[in-house]
Amino acid sequence: MIDFLIASLTDGLLLGFVYGIAAMGLSLIWGVMRVINLSHGATIALGMFGIYLAFTGLGMNPYLTLPLLAAASLLLGILVYFVAVHRVIDAPYLSTLLATFAVNMIVIGIGTAIFTTSPRNVDFSLGSLSLGPITVTWARVLAALAAAVVTGLLYLFLYRTRLGKSIRAVSNNKAAAELMGIATSWVLAFSFGLGTMLAAISGGLIATFFPFTILAGGGYQVKGFVICVLGGLGNPLGALIGGLILGAMEGIIPAFMETSWVPVLEFILFVIILLVRPTGLLGSKT
Amino acid sequence: MALLEVNALTSGYGELQILWGVSLKLERGKLTALVGSNGVGKTTLLRTVLGLVKPWDGVVTFAGRDVTHLSPHAKASQGLVLVPEGRQLFSDMSVYENLEMGAFSKRARPHFARNLERVYEMFPRLKERATQKAGTLSGGEQQMLAVARGLMAQPEVLMLDELSLGLAPFLVLELFGILRRLKDEGLTMLLVEQNVQMALAVSDYAYVLEHGRVSLEGPSREVAQNKRVKAAYLGI
Repeated sequence: MIDFLIASLTDGLLLGFVYGIAAMGLSLIWGVMRVINLSHGATIALGMFGIYLAFTGLGMNPYLTLPLLAAASLLLGILVYFVAVHRVIDAPYLSTLLATFAVNMIVIGIGTAIFTTSPRNVDFSLGSLSLGPITVTWARVLAALAAAVVTGLLYLFLYRTRLGKSIRAVSNNKAAAELMGIATSWVLAFSFGLGTMLAAISGGLIATFFPFTILAGGGYQVKGFVICVLGGLGNPLGALIGGLILGAMEGIIPAFMETSWVPVLEFILFVIILLVRPTGLLGSKT
Repeated sequence: MALLEVNALTSGYGELQILWGVSLKLERGKLTALVGSNGVGKTTLLRTVLGLVKPWDGVVTFAGRDVTHLSPHAKASQGLVLVPEGRQLFSDMSVYENLEMGAFSKRARPHFARNLERVYEMFPRLKERATQKAGTLSGGEQQMLAVARGLMAQPEVLMLDELSLGLAPFLVLELFGILRRLKDEGLTMLLVEQNVQMALAVSDYAYVLEHGRVSLEGPSREVAQNKRVKAAYLGI
């Protein structure tokens, strides 16, 4: 039993890293520009299909495709920002919410027309890794590693580079940043691109071990919101920790009850956090 | 020719007109003061000159070029730098990072090391607190950081909005001492102040703003001798 629990927990935690970077994308976009990005789920699905098409169509290794996917989704995010978000960036929250929801509907609509909603999977197996009692698939280990590397790079970028610091400056005080010569519109666009990139990468990683459809992103987006609230919106590290918590729950809960209880317990936790500590575990500002 | 020239500028918020045709000139290397009571449009004038508020009409000329409709970041990149009212620091970032962000523009970047040494020498407290978050500084230290951040931007024109607001008298004196020093070094400045007495004492030339219009201008010494100014602002 203990062995089984340890194995489930490990599985869940590895998955948690991947959830974590999807949530980090949401958190980053909210933190920098106070936009709740409802196109996040669609982007996650695009990431899944990006990896899927590169693998089935061109025979490309999913992990080697990731950097390409990252670059493409970064550009896509910048484009989406200028087309759909920028004109309503100073409008009330509902406007940006609806604008990103519209993007979501457009992507899913086109995706459904092209790919239908039948399930897909990336049939690329690397086998399993055994460490004592624990056996995990390489797909999950690599996904967690990739997510950890992405998190580390994101932190280095935000805290060590001029552009990254300018993102934090804009997030902190947009008017002051503009007065210091920072082109805030471009910084916002770039941040939206980064958030989109994180969503696409997490989607691409999820695709390496779970089957999916063009609609699958929605569920992960909701998980992303739960994770953000858990960790504290606007705090990337909190998003990672929230992701690990959610992943652990998804690993452990099925050992004791039906899998269908997982979302029930996740949302009970969500409500409790909202009641007890609405700023999240690591959140300081609202 | 004046370094910065504002000509018949009008602007406001929505339907509400605040500025009714303001003209002023900043001579190179001079400290110009813009004084007036609360709510006469001083801050709106600065915000309009910098493009944070859209000008309705009028022209802003900087170093001979029309910059009226440039974005605030483009103006900052050319050396029009504001130390805003209420400091507006990057409160979650360290003192050092605030100074780094001050030097963000291309024109300021090459001078980063020299400017950093200079502002640390002017405000030794900032050097001691370099790694501390700006939001945790005292009010006086925050104002010093705001000025230092502005200087890091390698300004051609430094505009200071309500520098003395909410500061203890000895800190006000210290900051005005810094202004004198910057003036001696040849920096062109526009000082916007409610503390009329201090502003007139330190500046070369002054404008008095009333109800969105310039009601009086002249060399600061003469403005300080004006009967109405004495009665209205200096309490003499």
